[in-house]
Amino acid sequence: MLRQDINELLTQTGPGTPMGDLFRQYWIPALLAEELPENDSPPVRVKLLSERLIAFRDSEGRYGLIDEFCAHRGASLWFGRNEGSGLRCPYHGWKYDVTGQCIEVPSEADNSSFCENVKLRAYPLVKVGDVLWTHMGDPAKRPALPEFEFAHVPPEQTYTSKRWQQCNWLQAFEGGIDSSHVTFLHSGGLQSDPLFKGAKGNEYNMKDTKPFFEVADSEGGLFVGARRNAEEGSYYWRITPWVMPAFTMVPPRGDHPVHGHFWVPIDDENCWTYSFDYHPARPLTAAERQAMIDGHGVHSKNIPGTYRPMANMDNDYLIDREAQKRGETYSGVAGIAMQDASLQESMGPIVDRTKERLVPADSGIIKARQKLRKAAIALRDEGVTPPGVDTAHHRVRSAAVVLPQAESFLDSCGDAIKATPGVPHSSV
Amino acid sequence: MYASESAKAASASESRYRITVPIAPARNARVIALDTRAASVARRISDGPWANARFYTCETTPDRGPADEFLLYRLDGVPAALDDMLRDTDVVVIMATDDSGATRAAAIGSACTARAITTAGVVLGDGFEADDAVAALRPHARVLLLSADESDAFELLRALRV
Ligand code: FES
Ligand SMILES: [Fe+2]
Repeated sequence: MLRQDINELLTQTGPGTPMGDLFRQYWIPALLAEELPENDSPPVRVKLLSERLIAFRDSEGRYGLIDEFCAHRGASLWFGRNEGSGLRCPYHGWKYDVTGQCIEVPSEADNSSFCENVKLRAYPLVKVGDVLWTHMGDPAKRPALPEFEFAHVPPEQTYTSKRWQQCNWLQAFEGGIDSSHVTFLHSGGLQSDPLFKGAKGNEYNMKDTKPFFEVADSEGGLFVGARRNAEEGSYYWRITPWVMPAFTMVPPRGDHPVHGHFWVPIDDENCWTYSFDYHPARPLTAAERQAMIDGHGVHSKNIPGTYRPMANMDNDYLIDREAQKRGETYSGVAGIAMQDASLQESMGPIVDRTKERLVPADSGIIKARQKLRKAAIALRDEGVTPPGVDTAHHRVRSAAVVLPQAESFLDSCGDAIKATPGVPHSSV
Repeated sequence: MYASESAKAASASESRYRITVPIAPARNARVIALDTRAASVARRISDGPWANARFYTCETTPDRGPADEFLLYRLDGVPAALDDMLRDTDVVVIMATDDSGATRAAAIGSACTARAITTAGVVLGDGFEADDAVAALRPHARVLLLSADESDAFELLRALRV
C-alpha cells in the first residue's frame, strides 16, 4: 500500500506539482514524427502534463509546440491555417511562428509593433528517431537531447507506435517493471505472437512460473532482474531497465527485436504509451515491421486515423471468452498491449493505492515509487537534478541471459545491459 | 451513458461504489538484522507504525559455538531461538550491510525455505561489502533489494502492511 498523500504526489503531473516539475526536467515524447509528415501539414492537438498545446511543422520544416489557444480571444489554433511560415488563427487572422511569437495582427496598422508583445507559451519540439520530443521545463536547464538506443539506430532498424491509455501514467508504467505478470497474463502470446514466439527463453518462462527478483539501483533508475530455473545449476535471467522518469525496456526473446515503452502523462487520468521495437544490429525484416504495424508484440491495432486502440473500454476490449477457454489468451483479451491496458484501465483512472496488498515480488514497484518520490522532493526542496536527465543514463538495454546459479546478474551482465552501437542484444 | 460496462466500471464516479473494508495487516513479519549496521537500522525503523512486525538482531557471538547455532535477540536483548521466531510468521525480511552475517543468512534462508516462509533480503549500502551475504540469500529470498537505504526498508515494510 501507499499513503494517499504519496499517491497524489506521484500521480499528479500538472504545472506546479512536484511530479509535474520532475517530468519537466526531461525531454519527453510529445508526438510521433509521422503525425507531422510534411511542411505545412495540419496542426495536431497535443495534451501533455495537463497542458493543452498545438504541434505544427511550418513551411521551412521547423517544428513548434505552442499554447493551443489564440492570444486574441481564445479560439483553438487546431483550426488554424498552417502556411507562409506560421500558423494563422482563422477567426481574426492572428498569426504565430514556431516559437509562439505573434507575427501578424491584421487589424493593427501595417507597421504596428503590437504583435511583438504577444507571445504564446511554446516549447521546443525536436525530432530524434521516429519521435518528436519536447522539454517543458526551464530553458536555462535544458538537457542534451535523448540518447535512447531505439531513437538512434538507423531508421530501418526501428519502429515506434503509440496508443492512448485511459488511466494515470503511474499505473501504466508500473506494468512495465512488473515482471511477474508475464507468465500469467501474456502466456498465450509467448506461444503465438510472431514477435515473441520460438525463443528458448520462453520455455524457461513457462516452466517456472514463480520467478525470484533482484532489484538494483542504477544511475538513471533501476535494473529489475527476474530469475527462473534453467538447466541444472543455472538460472534464466530477464533484466528490465527503468530510466527515470518513464522509460522501460522488456527483456528480449531470441533474435526478435527488443522492445520497450515510454509512458507519458497526458493529464492525471490519461497517458500515452509509446511502444518501440528495434534491433541493434540489423534491419527489421518486412515481416517483423508488418507484424508491428498490425499490432502484434507490444504494439496495438489502432482505430485508423487515431491512436486509440481498436479494442478499448467502450467495446469491453473485444473480450473473447471462447479464446480464453481454449487457452489462446489468458484473459480473453487479444494482444500483449491490450492485455496490459485493459487491466490497468480497469483499476480506475487513478488507482487507490491505499487499498493494495503488495507482496515481496512487487519490490520493483515499491522501490520505483520511492525513487520517484525522493527525486521529486529533492528537486522541489533543493533543486537537485534527478536521475535520468544525464544522457549517459539513457544508454541501457534489457537483456535475457542464462547464468550459473552462483553469479549475480549485475556482476555478470555489465556489458549486456549497456547499449553499445551495432552490437546485438544479449538474448535467449 | 457509457458505451460499455468496462467504461462505466472504470470511471472515476463509479469508484465510490468500490467496497471498502478495513484491510487487516497481511503479514506477520519478522525482520532480522544480520550485522551491526543493519541492527542500528532495525532499531530505528522498529518504532514505525507496525501491527505485527517483530525485529531481531543476530550479531556475532564468536564464543557461542558453531556459526549455525547462533542465537537471535529481540531488540530488548532477550534471546530467541530461530525455531520459535519463525513460528506463526509468513514473511521474513533479512537486512544486511556486510558479509559478517553470510553464514547466518544461509541458515535463516534455508530455515525459511524449509517452512515455506516468503523471504525478502534487503541489502543496505552499495552492496559491494555484502556480496557473500547476497550470495547466501539468493537461493532463498523471493526478492533481493540491492543497494537499498533505510527508507527503502521502511517503505517495503509499510507496503507489505506488516
Ligand atoms: S492478481 Fe494482481 S491485480 Fe489481481
Ligand atoms: Fe505486460
